[in-house]
Amino acid sequence: MTVEIEFDSSWQDEFLHRIENDGPWGNWDLFKLAVGVEKHLIIPEFEGLQAPNHLPNLTPLPHQLETAKQVIENMNGKAILADEVGLGKTIEAGLILKEYMIRGLVKKVLILVPASLVTQWAYELNSKFFIPAVSQKKSYVWEQCDVVVSSIDTAKRDPHRDIINKQDYDLIIIDEAHKLKNNKTKNYEFVQNLKKKFCLLLTATPIQNRIGEIFNLVSLLKPGHLGSETAFYDKYKRDARSLNDNEHLKELVNKVMIRNRRADTGIEWTKRHVETIPIEFTPEEKELYQAITDLKSEGDWVQTSAFSVMTLQREACSSREAVFYTLKNMLQKKENPTKEFQDQIQHLISKVEAVSSNSKAEKALELIQKIDDKVIIFTEYRATQMYLQWYLKQNGISSVPFRGGFKRGKKDWMRELFQKHAQVLIATEAGGEGINLQFCNHIINFDLPWNPMRLEQRIGRIHRLGQEKDVMIYNFAIQNTVEEHILKLLYEKIELFEKVIGDLDDILTKLDFGSIEDHLIDIFGQSCSEGEMRIKMENLTSMIDLAKDMQKEDSHAAAGNS
Amino acid sequence: MQQLEIHNFLIRYFLANECEITENGPGYLTVQLTIELDKELMNRPFYWHYLEKTGGIPNPMKLTFITNPQIVPEHIKGETVHFGSPRLHQIFQSTKKLSSYIRLYENHRNGQQQTPLMPWLCMNVKISYQCDRKRDIYKSIGLQLINGQMIEDFHERLQNVQLTPKIPDYSFTLSPLVKPKSGMSRIEHYLKAVINEDDHTWAEEARKRWEQDLRLLDHFYEDVEEENENYETEKKALQDQYEPKINISFINGGLFYLTDNAV
Repeated sequence: MTVEIEFDSSWQDEFLHRIENDGPWGNWDLFKLAVGVEKHLIIPEFEGLQAPNHLPNLTPLPHQLETAKQVIENMNGKAILADEVGLGKTIEAGLILKEYMIRGLVKKVLILVPASLVTQWAYELNSKFFIPAVSQKKSYVWEQCDVVVSSIDTAKRDPHRDIINKQDYDLIIIDEAHKLKNNKTKNYEFVQNLKKKFCLLLTATPIQNRIGEIFNLVSLLKPGHLGSETAFYDKYKRDARSLNDNEHLKELVNKVMIRNRRADTGIEWTKRHVETIPIEFTPEEKELYQAITDLKSEGDWVQTSAFSVMTLQREACSSREAVFYTLKNMLQKKENPTKEFQDQIQHLISKVEAVSSNSKAEKALELIQKIDDKVIIFTEYRATQMYLQWYLKQNGISSVPFRGGFKRGKKDWMRELFQKHAQVLIATEAGGEGINLQFCNHIINFDLPWNPMRLEQRIGRIHRLGQEKDVMIYNFAIQNTVEEHILKLLYEKIELFEKVIGDLDDILTKLDFGSIEDHLIDIFGQSCSEGEMRIKMENLTSMIDLAKDMQKEDSHAAAGNS
Repeated sequence: MQQLEIHNFLIRYFLANECEITENGPGYLTVQLTIELDKELMNRPFYWHYLEKTGGIPNPMKLTFITNPQIVPEHIKGETVHFGSPRLHQIFQSTKKLSSYIRLYENHRNGQQQTPLMPWLCMNVKISYQCDRKRDIYKSIGLQLINGQMIEDFHERLQNVQLTPKIPDYSFTLSPLVKPKSGMSRIEHYLKAVINEDDHTWAEEARKRWEQDLRLLDHFYEDVEEENENYETEKKALQDQYEPKINISFINGGLFYLTDNAV
């Protein structure tokens, strides 16, 4: 076996030069120190981790160390890190990065993260790992700094894109990589074009619902690992329900993906207490909700998608402001609205105007006063968010808003304000990911998302490593509404809160199930009667139960074999 | 490196660079930098440039390092250094930079007797085996430039020899028969021969991993007919990731003039 040997000759040239000029010569004690230093820095083995010796202020958890070792030794530095939310994926990535840097295998690094996390990543790499990471603010940073943190949206834009393509990166880290599940997007294309010597994709929701998404993610990391696109879909799409095939796929995926689960980490987690708080509408609110529900059976609305009716129903469960905002939009966007349409909207707006109070907001206020500590309120609607901020202020409670659309600096600032000065943080859905708020341990779900993963993301903001107290989750649901149905199905029947969600994505993949959200839209939108709705709900529930049973059998079988 | 080792290392480094250690307490030390070392470590070229232009009085910095936060007295403020800290690695680099080349003579105790000193070429190197993983080997080779004798662990053997930068009285150096330049290439050949003897399963395995991933990559792009830029990029990435390489880099080295049986 011949391997090319590179011999550094620069030392020799300088040495001859010094012999000729009779010096200058170094100091013997320094000379000895230099050799001593080198002996300390030498890495005698291919295997093992050096990084922990360099990180006295960090005590990585066993599963984090194991993950770092696996990625370097068995996955050749290309991996999807898919731990459940809050297990410290950032720490794992930092350990791997540090290890490669110590070994001199990685110098130039690009870290792409959501805009709201840029500062935090740079800060953590500097403070915990002593890695001089710089957040990209000026365009010269790409060339002059070795470790750069940026948002993907900045990076893919000109002129950054061209500069980035000219850099020769040794390691690329992408946080929240599940956003790259669609291979038709600009972001996907951008990442695909990057040269990836070593690459880490971080995500908490790897196989969210579709088998195609995992194909796209893996192909980004290691093209061909799951075969070519046509071959893959030939093989799996058709018999995605066949367990044997999926078993094989799972095995393949596990070669490039590590997924630690809370239950396996052996760490004592603080508990989650979930309390469902049933709320009753005031008569006016109820009338508004009913008026919206009645739309379904009326003529002109049949053309309008079931989705808008349902959106309105859900909004009615949140705040009259949310309903009003959507109605106004519908009226503006409709080209040549018919007289009936306008009348309908006007009718609804009059119902909105009749509502004088918000039952949920009153309940929230009462709860916040009782808790007398920091609270995060999640809502899906911006109009509700703004209303709540106003309402809490009227009642002497300070709050800060939080949205995905905020610029990076503003997000950091809001987080800081919340930590130091305000009692309540009101976040919309998009603001749910990307900030860590473990100094707070109360969450109010003012309304509920239909995608259970999103809910887990919300809770994951506070129920993560570093949370010292038990986490309290309050779910608001208006009785006898679509909201209550969702709560029953998703959050009680699936026992989502008691059982940590981890298995659910596996379950859904196994069944080639489609997204829960689509099912719910179908159930609530297309059902003609209450009875049909109930039957469909039961079907959905039993499918999930079935999948769960299969899951259990699987794990029994696996345990039996070992 | 343990905390105490770091503490002692820092003291030796600063003393070797003629800095005064003004305080040396439990878990900390304070050092008055010289002008040279301030320029070396503090990264403030504008200050020094300004001072030299205006002819002001130079005021090199005084630094306090905390080497063990557990035992340091509470009132001491300073920079905490540990094995991973950037400051320590800066000082490591500086140590290497300031002592890359050396020439020393054995400070023998032969009194007034005329003593010949033999020239030795010393090269301390780091050999790195690199693919998608890496390991290093340290080697210190000494080559006697008269009879061509080659010795391993040369640096370690020198630890028992008294050395001085000035040629001692009543001593004379013998002219090398082997020129330093050809001495260096002898050592290079020797190192390459040693490396070739070594077990290189690691490289074979890396090439296997490389081929495997390359096959997958070809398969992925087999449907795409025209030249594909992504394919080329990925291919290059695999080469960078896996291609086995061996690097020999220098730590330091120099000329040593030693008595007959010194090493």
